[in-house]
Amino acid sequence: MRKWLTGLVVLVATVMGMTVGGQTMHAASHYTITTDTTFPPFEFQTQGGDYRGIDMDMLKEISKREHFTYTLKPMSFNAGVQAVQAGQVDGILAGMSITDERKQTFDFGTPYYKSGIVMAVANKSKVDSLKDLKGKTVAAKTGSSGAMYAQRMAKKYDFKITYFNDSNTMYNDVIIGNTVAAFEDQPVMAYAIQQGTKMKIVTDPADGNWYGFGVKKGTNAALLKDFNAGYAKLVKDGTYDKIVNRYLGEGGYNYKENAAAKSAADQSIWSLIKENKAALLDGLIKTLQLTIVGIILAALWGVLLGVMGVAPSKLIRGLSSVIIYIFRGLPMLVLAFFIYIGIPNLTGQKIPAFTAGVITLILNEGAYIGAFVRGGFKSVDPGQLEAARSLGMPYGKAMRKVVMPQGIRLTIPSFINQFIITLKDTSILSAIGIIELTQTGTLIIARNLQGFKVWLMIAVLYLIVITLLTWLSNWVEKRIN
Amino acid sequence: MAAIVEVKDVHKSYGKNEVLKGISLDVAEGEVVVMIGPSGSGKSTFLRSLNKLEEINSGQIKINGWDLVDPKNNIDKTRETIGMVFQHFNLFPHLTVLENMMLAPVEVGKQSKAEAEQTARKLLDRVGLADKADVKPNTLSGGQKQRVAIARALAMNPKIMLFDEPTSALDPEMVGDVLAVMKELAEEGMTMIVVTHEMGFAKQVADRVVFFADGYIREEGTPEEVFNNPQDERTRDFLNKVLNV
Repeated sequence: MRKWLTGLVVLVATVMGMTVGGQTMHAASHYTITTDTTFPPFEFQTQGGDYRGIDMDMLKEISKREHFTYTLKPMSFNAGVQAVQAGQVDGILAGMSITDERKQTFDFGTPYYKSGIVMAVANKSKVDSLKDLKGKTVAAKTGSSGAMYAQRMAKKYDFKITYFNDSNTMYNDVIIGNTVAAFEDQPVMAYAIQQGTKMKIVTDPADGNWYGFGVKKGTNAALLKDFNAGYAKLVKDGTYDKIVNRYLGEGGYNYKENAAAKSAADQSIWSLIKENKAALLDGLIKTLQLTIVGIILAALWGVLLGVMGVAPSKLIRGLSSVIIYIFRGLPMLVLAFFIYIGIPNLTGQKIPAFTAGVITLILNEGAYIGAFVRGGFKSVDPGQLEAARSLGMPYGKAMRKVVMPQGIRLTIPSFINQFIITLKDTSILSAIGIIELTQTGTLIIARNLQGFKVWLMIAVLYLIVITLLTWLSNWVEKRIN
Repeated sequence: MAAIVEVKDVHKSYGKNEVLKGISLDVAEGEVVVMIGPSGSGKSTFLRSLNKLEEINSGQIKINGWDLVDPKNNIDKTRETIGMVFQHFNLFPHLTVLENMMLAPVEVGKQSKAEAEQTARKLLDRVGLADKADVKPNTLSGGQKQRVAIARALAMNPKIMLFDEPTSALDPEMVGDVLAVMKELAEEGMTMIVVTHEMGFAKQVADRVVFFADGYIREEGTPEEVFNNPQDERTRDFLNKVLNV
């Protein structure tokens, strides 16, 4: 038993170390920079899994010229903005408009691209002005300039807004007709349409604004200086124009046409799997790491809460109840954001996304485990504890040797259930930028537009893992009984 | 004979309901005391307070030289010297018979496994269950379970044994085997306090019979005195009911 426990702790420590350890060593000029998951032509993921686009190519050139290195952390735009404010990342380069409101919390680099907000509708739509939106619902991306513009117009023209975390999902929502129009940055919208998105722009660019590289106000001055110096060099030697032309010029890189051509020629699921094997495997491994580390630590924490829940001391029992009440009551997404973005915002101390994800799992799943473990302990006949104590066994020993083995046995079916729930819950952690299986699916679709097939693949992968996990659990259950 | 149990003026309440209203009782070494009385009279509560499964509100309890009321008293050490047998056996269902008997001697008695196993097998043989060493308790009959429970308590080599209605949960044909083991134990000189409804056992084995009613000890004496010539009206009433069925 003790050996088994030691092995477990070593395993957990190893997995944690593997994923977390690498990020804590920072050289003087190494930065973490966030970008949007999909915002072509500024940022998007290529078939090979690299991030490309105007922003990304620019960042690469600037880092070369200014001799700094960086880790790229793509996440939804909204999460990225918050991650900068929380100090989780150093800067954001995501086609971000410079606004007066944002200037209160961000320092921006030299404006690098002029843009404006346009309204786009499905090709067959009859909507062609803001007036037509009365009583209808439109789509916008959370925290974007398009969303801010839409919010201002919503009062005047009396329409409602639905928010999305990435552009592709938003476009799809308009195309299938759930919402009637999308508000998006002009170059992004134009580029998407040029690339085959079945929408049309119906308004002139409004709210003309500039894009800028942002850091949290009052921090990372050196990074901002490097960025500005590098950008000036790019403009001067013509690299900037070359980069923009690469995407927006005649015959420029067309990521969707490439994807469309590929999928038209070869649509089988097998080829999709083959093409995305590496990404899917990485996502699956990350999901499994989260699940395994999460469930093991949550189980330890949950058993502790369960033990506390039947303690002789009223105070300890109360503490256990309060902890279970809070963390069972909080939605997991709120908890994840609170840990990843809320706490660093307060303390100024970065928490790596994986660690934040694991802590979320421990607290959330641990609360559920604590509740049923407490129930399991309570359902053991009180005579068992009395008999053990009567033999002279101290409370702790009597619990460990007599009550807990019986109580835990009763909870095995609940534990199996919790394993499966934990595996599924890891998908929620995609929201804080962990590229696990679900996020991998989002990224692949952003690239190849094969929504049905990719989600089918992801769903099947989850089911396979859950089936294996169930078999394993049933085998363990039989062995124990 | 020296008293190894000294109880003075013990009171115990559950909320407003006082169940022990001033109990005093001394038990001498080697004595067998049988406590009888109607249900709810407080005899089980009193027995359980002797190893602190129930906390008393006031009074004194000294047992085997340990002062149970002293907050600094080590209750675990105290309990090692007191064997307890329950109405519902309370065997540990996840352990085999042998493991049930070895657990406490190894964990708190600091015996080696081999030592504990040797003792356990000897005791099992004594209660007539040598062949059941390696089975789980749920395969045993009620009578067998209770004999294992007695053997388990004896494995700690206690100075005194407490029995809380040890035959009440048994089928009638099982009662005899358990009582036989208890009688043998009494004959060997074990100090025993037994709460029971088995009047035959009380008459035959007890050195002293104590009658409980309404939270008081109403009467005590030799079995002859209590059964043949009860002084208290409540005792007469009770004995009439249980003996003339």
